Amino acid sequence: MKRRVSKGGLALFALASVLVAFAQPGLLSAQDTIKLGAIWGFAGPCHMLSESAVKGIKIAVEEINAGGGVLGKKLELIVRDTEMKVDVGAREVKDLILREKVNFLEGPCSSGVALALQVIHSEYKVLRITTMANTEAQVVDKFSPYVVQIVPNTYMEAIAATRYLHKRYPKAKKFCTIAPDYEFGRREEAAFAEEIKRLVPEAEIVYEAWPKPGEKDFTSFITAIMAKKPDAVHSSLFGGDLVAFTKQAAPYGFFEKIPFMALYDLPVLLALGADAPDGVMGFGRGCFFMDPNPKMMEFAEKYRQLHGVYPDSWAVQGYDGVCLLKAAIEKAKSTSTEEVIKAMEGLSLDSLRGKFSIRALDHMGTVPCYQGVIAKDPKYPFKIWKDISRIPGEEVIRSEEGVREVWKKTGVVR
Amino acid sequence: MSLDVLFNQFMSGIARGALLFLVASGLSLTFGVLRVLNFSHGSLYMLGAFLCYSIWAHLLLPALGFYLATILSALIMGAAGLLIELFLLRRLYNRGWPEQLLATYALILIITDLVKWRWGGEFLSIPRPKPFTGAIFLFDFPFPAYNLFVIGLGAALAVFLWWLVYRTRLGDIIRAAAHDREMVSALGIPIPWLFTWIFVLGSVIAGLSGAVAAPFGSVALGMDIEIIVECFAVVVIGGMGSLPGTLLGAFVVGQVYSFGIMYKPELALAFIFMVMAIVLIIRPWGIFGRPER
Repeated sequence: MKRRVSKGGLALFALASVLVAFAQPGLLSAQDTIKLGAIWGFAGPCHMLSESAVKGIKIAVEEINAGGGVLGKKLELIVRDTEMKVDVGAREVKDLILREKVNFLEGPCSSGVALALQVIHSEYKVLRITTMANTEAQVVDKFSPYVVQIVPNTYMEAIAATRYLHKRYPKAKKFCTIAPDYEFGRREEAAFAEEIKRLVPEAEIVYEAWPKPGEKDFTSFITAIMAKKPDAVHSSLFGGDLVAFTKQAAPYGFFEKIPFMALYDLPVLLALGADAPDGVMGFGRGCFFMDPNPKMMEFAEKYRQLHGVYPDSWAVQGYDGVCLLKAAIEKAKSTSTEEVIKAMEGLSLDSLRGKFSIRALDHMGTVPCYQGVIAKDPKYPFKIWKDISRIPGEEVIRSEEGVREVWKKTGVVR
Repeated sequence: MSLDVLFNQFMSGIARGALLFLVASGLSLTFGVLRVLNFSHGSLYMLGAFLCYSIWAHLLLPALGFYLATILSALIMGAAGLLIELFLLRRLYNRGWPEQLLATYALILIITDLVKWRWGGEFLSIPRPKPFTGAIFLFDFPFPAYNLFVIGLGAALAVFLWWLVYRTRLGDIIRAAAHDREMVSALGIPIPWLFTWIFVLGSVIAGLSGAVAAPFGSVALGMDIEIIVECFAVVVIGGMGSLPGTLLGAFVVGQVYSFGIMYKPELALAFIFMVMAIVLIIRPWGIFGRPER
C-alpha cells in the first residue's frame, strides 16, 4: 500500500515536472510570442488610471493578435502591480525581466516609481514605453536609451497650457498657481513660470500654493488666492484633488471672478457632473472628446461597448503604446531590443491622437497637448470641452539644444 | 492686509477646524474611556463617506437623499463598530500598546482593501445638498453655505457630547471609568458593556463625519490617512481624551493651517506639527489632558 502511493506520487511528480518544464519560458513558447510586461500601480490615486490604461492595452493586444500578431508572433500580456511603491515596483520589474523574461515593458503610473524602475530595466537592457508617468526627467534629466515616452511630458504640457491661457487672456499679468506638492506639480509650475515670463515679460506670480497630494479641504487656499486678486490662476491639480477644489471654490464665486485652468480631463468631468464649471479652461492628454477623429471615435465606441464608459486619455495612451511597439518591431523586422530602439528613433505613428514621431535624440514622442473650455454637449450626459486646441508636440517640445544643456548639468553623455 | 481678508481666512480656518473636530471627537472619546488608540478611526470615517455616496446614489431623492444617507451610514458604521469591539478590541484591552496598535492598523489595511474591492479606486463626488448649495454673504464676502452647515454640526456635536459627559448619569459613569475603571467595576457597573457602547458611539461619530465630509470634497481612497494624521495633531495638542481639549485643538490646527497657507504656504503643514511639538515639550499630556498615571 505504502509503496503504491509513493510510486503514484513519483509518477505525478514526473508528470508535473514535465508540465512545468513546458511552461517555462524559453523551452516551448518564447519563440512564438512577444511578451509585454505591463507594470502599473493599482493603489491609491493610481488605481483607476492604471485600470483604464490596462483596458486600452488589452484592446490593442487583442486587435493585433486577431490580425495575425507582429511578425507572425502573438503578443502576450503580463500585468503587474507596483502598489505605487518604489520597492514593490523594483521587485516586480525584476521578476518580469528575470523570471517572465519579458521582451518589452509598458507603464507605470507614478513619476516617482517610473524613475526608480528606469534604473533597473536600463541595467537589464529592456525597453520601456511610458504612457502615463510624464515627468520630463525620464527622457531629459536622467535620459536612458531604454525609455520611449509618448505622454506629453511636464514641460510640453505646461508650455502648451500656458500658451492657451495667454491666448484667451492676453492682458493677464498677475498670476497665482496652485499645484500638488511633488515631482509632477513642481515641474509643471516651473515650466508655467518660464513660459508666461517669455510671453508676458512683466508677468508676476504673486502667490504659489502647494497643497499636499490628497488634500481634501482647499477652503483656506481659495480665500488666500482670492485675497491676492490675480488676473488668472494656473493649476496642475488633477483627479480627486481637483474635484474637491472645484466644489469648494464654486460657492465663493471663484470661477466667475478669476480665469482658472487645470487638468480637467474626463474622469474629473464625470465625477463633477453638473458641478463642472462652464467656461473654465482645462488641459489634457487626449481622451476621446479632445480629438474626435474617426480612428479615435471608432476606438471610443468599441471601448464603450466593452466597458460601459468612454475611454479617458490613460486608455488612449495605453493603446497607442502597444501600437507604437508593433510599428517599431515591424520596422526593425526583429524583436531584439537594440534593433527595436533603433527603429523607434524617428519612427512616425498614425495614432489615435493623430500623427506623432519619436525624436531620435531623447526618445520623446512629439505627442499633441490639448486644451479647451468646459461646456455642455447635448450628445453626452456629462460636460466636455469646446474651443478645443490641439498643439502638436513639435511646437512645445524642449529644443535639442535645451536638452543638451540639461544633459551638461546632469552628466548625460549621448 | 485688510480686515475682510483676515476675517475670511479666519472663517476658512473655523470650517476646517469644525470638520477636524467632528472626526477627532470620536477618536478622543474612545481613547479617553477605553484607553485604546484607535488607528482605524480614519478608516471608519472613509467607509462612512463611501457608504453615504452609495446610499445617496441609490435613493435618488434630490431634497432629502443626502440627509437620509448620512443618518443611515452613521448607523451602519455604529453596527460595524459593535462588531469590531465585540470580536477584536475586547480581546485587546489587557494587552500592551503594540498589540492594540497592530490590530487597529490591520483594520486600516482591511478596510482599504474592502473599499477598493467594493468601490474601486475611483474618486466619487456628492453635490452639496439643498439648502446649502450656494453661498451666504458675511460682511459682503461670500461664504459657502455648506461650510456653515459643517460648523453648525460641529457645534451641535460639541454641545451634545458635553451634555452627555457632564450632565447625565451615564456621563458620570464614563468620567469615573476613565479615571479608575476597577473602582467603577467594583460598584457593579458592567464595564465591558460600557466600553462597547462608547466604541459604538465613536464609530457613529466617525461614520457621520465621513458622510458629512463627502459633499465637502471628493470621496476617495486615502482620505482615511489624510484625516487621521491631522486628528492626532488635534488630540495631542488639546489633550487625549478631553472634550474641551479636542475643541481647542481643532480650533488651533484649523487657524494655524489657514493663516499658514496665507503667509507661508510651503510651511503650512509644518506649522501644525511645530505647534504639536511645542505642546509636547511644555505639556506632554496636552493643554487640557491629564498626565498618565
